[in-house]
Amino acid sequence: MAASASPPLVKDLRRRLGEENVLSAPSELVVYECDGYTIEKNRPDAVVFPRSTEHVADVVRLCNRHKVPIVPRGAGTSLAGGCLPIGGGVVVMLTRMNRILEVDLRNRLAVVEAGVPNIQLGRALAGTGYHFAPDPSSQGASTIGGNVATNAGGPHTLKYGVTVNHVLGLEAVLGDGSILRLDPVANPAALDLLGVLVGSEGTLAVLTKIWVRLTPNPHDYRTLRAVFNTLDDATNAISDIIGAGIIPAAMELMDQGIVAAVEEAYHFGFPLDAEAIAVIELDGPTAGLDQQRQAVGEFCEKWHAREVLRADTPAQRDLLWKCRKMAVGAVGRLSPSYCIQDGVVPRTRLPHILRRIAEIGRKYGIRIVNVAHAGDGNVHPILLFDERDKEVVARVLAAGEELLEECIRCGGSVTAEHGIGVEKRAFMSRLFGEADLAAMAQVREAFNPGERLNPGKLLPDQNRVRRG
Amino acid sequence: MDKRIDNLPLADTLAPGDQDGVAAAVRGAWQEGKPLYPIGGGTQLAYGARPAEPGVGLSLARLNRVIDYPARDLTITVEAGVTIAELAGRLAAERQRLPVDVPFPAQATVGGAVALNAAGPRQFRWGTLRDYVIGLRAVDGSGTAFSAGGRVVKNAAGYGLCRLLTGSLGTLGVIVQVTLMVKPMPQTSAFVACDVPDGDTAEKLLAGLIQTRTLPSAVELLAGPGFDLEGNPVGRVSNPSGSLDADAGRVGNPSHAMRLAVGLEGSAAEVDWMIAQLQEEWRQAGVTSTITLPGDQADPLWNRLTEFSCAGVGRVSNPSGSPDADAGRVGNPSHATRQGLPVPSSADGDSPLVVQIHVAPSVLVALMERLRELDPRASIQAHAGSGVVFARFPVEAPEAAAMVDQRLRPVVRSAGGSMVVLGLPQGAALGRESLFGPAPEGWAVMQSIQRQFDPKGILNRGRFLFAPPA
Repeated sequence: MAASASPPLVKDLRRRLGEENVLSAPSELVVYECDGYTIEKNRPDAVVFPRSTEHVADVVRLCNRHKVPIVPRGAGTSLAGGCLPIGGGVVVMLTRMNRILEVDLRNRLAVVEAGVPNIQLGRALAGTGYHFAPDPSSQGASTIGGNVATNAGGPHTLKYGVTVNHVLGLEAVLGDGSILRLDPVANPAALDLLGVLVGSEGTLAVLTKIWVRLTPNPHDYRTLRAVFNTLDDATNAISDIIGAGIIPAAMELMDQGIVAAVEEAYHFGFPLDAEAIAVIELDGPTAGLDQQRQAVGEFCEKWHAREVLRADTPAQRDLLWKCRKMAVGAVGRLSPSYCIQDGVVPRTRLPHILRRIAEIGRKYGIRIVNVAHAGDGNVHPILLFDERDKEVVARVLAAGEELLEECIRCGGSVTAEHGIGVEKRAFMSRLFGEADLAAMAQVREAFNPGERLNPGKLLPDQNRVRRG
Repeated sequence: MDKRIDNLPLADTLAPGDQDGVAAAVRGAWQEGKPLYPIGGGTQLAYGARPAEPGVGLSLARLNRVIDYPARDLTITVEAGVTIAELAGRLAAERQRLPVDVPFPAQATVGGAVALNAAGPRQFRWGTLRDYVIGLRAVDGSGTAFSAGGRVVKNAAGYGLCRLLTGSLGTLGVIVQVTLMVKPMPQTSAFVACDVPDGDTAEKLLAGLIQTRTLPSAVELLAGPGFDLEGNPVGRVSNPSGSLDADAGRVGNPSHAMRLAVGLEGSAAEVDWMIAQLQEEWRQAGVTSTITLPGDQADPLWNRLTEFSCAGVGRVSNPSGSPDADAGRVGNPSHATRQGLPVPSSADGDSPLVVQIHVAPSVLVALMERLRELDPRASIQAHAGSGVVFARFPVEAPEAAAMVDQRLRPVVRSAGGSMVVLGLPQGAALGRESLFGPAPEGWAVMQSIQRQFDPKGILNRGRFLFAPPA
């Protein structure tokens, strides 16, 4: 076996966790040198698979003793490099902490270990009449711990909220190895530490156990798919829907570029000259749904939709959704590499940002296609390229940067659901002022003094200034 | 002359006209190391411990601009001093609302509501105010202004400082501006209510609601003389044939009767359907008669259920001494009467002991029964679906400490819950631990955060959890 960077630490870890739960051979570590963000890579010194919160606490204490950074990781689906072991250290894999500990319908909650895949909880809840609302596109692989750490979203957030709205309690290990247990019963005589831990990307604590809120399943659905001549027509129709007080469960927008990609790959027969296709889904008690569908259909027609399809059966519903669900896969068939960006603007600025993205694509000679969670102004530009060509990669990065700058200019943000990670650290000082970042640095100092957990993420380096 | 307003010892009160003025006021206090007490609409000044040290009252009343309301983006940005009623009026013009109940909306401000993380009966479906604060601007204890969040409804950039400051009672920063996510205004609402003879039946119906096909906005369980089930139980009774238990809830009555009221909101078609559906579900569960308050008839009950915990709480020793004419007007029981709302029965007096308890919903009914055993005169309202209980006890000032420390806290502890004291009988004073309970989990981290945001501890010194600097 090749020499490890830090043999005494590895020995300590093995003694505590057992041989089988510690990896240190370079050939084994290579898998963990990056996550879904593949532009930067670095090999960790060791990878551990704790089985309990106490294991995690011991790992944190051992790493502190050996002055080695700790990088928590779930399924590694981060698109922002949240799990990149900058400067090496120990990657703490939560994936073997994957038990669903309790489903408590009376209190509408479930208790899970952090490594439970989102979809596994969904399966366990089948037949109960309840579900865990956050459903990021990664849900087939991503863990609930990862969803919580990144405050994950998905297509249903306008109506159902993001992950933080569905977390009731947490157990976590802090930077000093102490265990924090935030009970699911609220306490007004406290600061909301839970609200800070959700979305903290592993920089404040290693999450080990989560009490999640369960949401009643909708009893019925109405799904529509409309083809629009222009982007403005599509977004005006969506604006009218919201103006009429209708909040659909999902409003997914696909632009001309992604429709073309889907056609190239799968030949659905979509018109290639239409600028936008919207998939709109209503849910809730059956009463009132037809009325809402009628109104949504009328708004689409008012804005010159050339085709509005309505699903009446589950099979038809699946068919209307198919083009959206296969969109990213279509891109994968067309391009050797692609990068999914994550920007957000005030919803009414969607036409503007999509037009600017098209201009940016032309400027840099990069094909960019878009899917958007249109209800909340969250756009996912997908940049198609070949990562073997360094010059192209440079243009992709420049185009990505320019489109995120434009999101900031529109009053939006550089990430709606993927997180900052390493990818977007540089944007933090453009999005926030010095005092704003100082406040965040103060919070990090309280949970994770000395930046022992997931260093080099979320906040820009220069921000260690303290006020007062 | 004593200028104490409710429990705040004010040497002076400033009312800056803009956000820079607030920062300047905080810097002034910071330089002197003197406490500073932020004041919004003055509706909750009785909440918290009584600070000993005189300081400067900082009124946010003049920060009352609506900064931006892009209605179709479902967001609004307002300054902290905008009242809840003004906010609601702006939103209503676009058929939108903030689905969070705030007591005394004509006086209460957005900043104050955020500082307390307001939430009422609608929290069952709609959550607490914390779920709607997507951006804010505040001035920390050194007078430095900072922002958190943004103006978009979905934002994963940086830590959730909006949530941290919400509910921190101004101890991390004086909130000067807030961006809220808003929702469409439902077309109508209704209550469907029934009387339940005992706790077991109440629990059975609450457990049954887990599989209801309706989507309740509120699930309320009411008991005791504050809800005079004989007279005017839940606003007006629309269905005279609905039989009421005439004996239920009379003062001193040993009856265990309670009333379960479910609030429904949506389009007319949805609400009509849900009313019929819930009546049918309850009929199958053995409920023989229900009371329905449709449309406008439901409004007084929504208000009542929002203000029950605060009515009659708080005193003003010298309202005229306040430069902010509104401070302290509310909390006065006559205010509730002016609005035409039933004042909680005189049985619990003008300044009862009022506590707020959080427990798991599954043990809520048992807890309510324990509270009624402790004092049969208690009036109790529960947001039963969310595990929140408000109890009002007509105890005298000398009994208050023993009631809280020796009787209530052990009951709450054994139920695995938390408790804060919202109001005390006139003349009673309790320390921080009695009012707020034992140190919360994560206390060391909370203290560290508070010291970082307010190193000299000037913000609401001695009023919330944090000990004044030695």
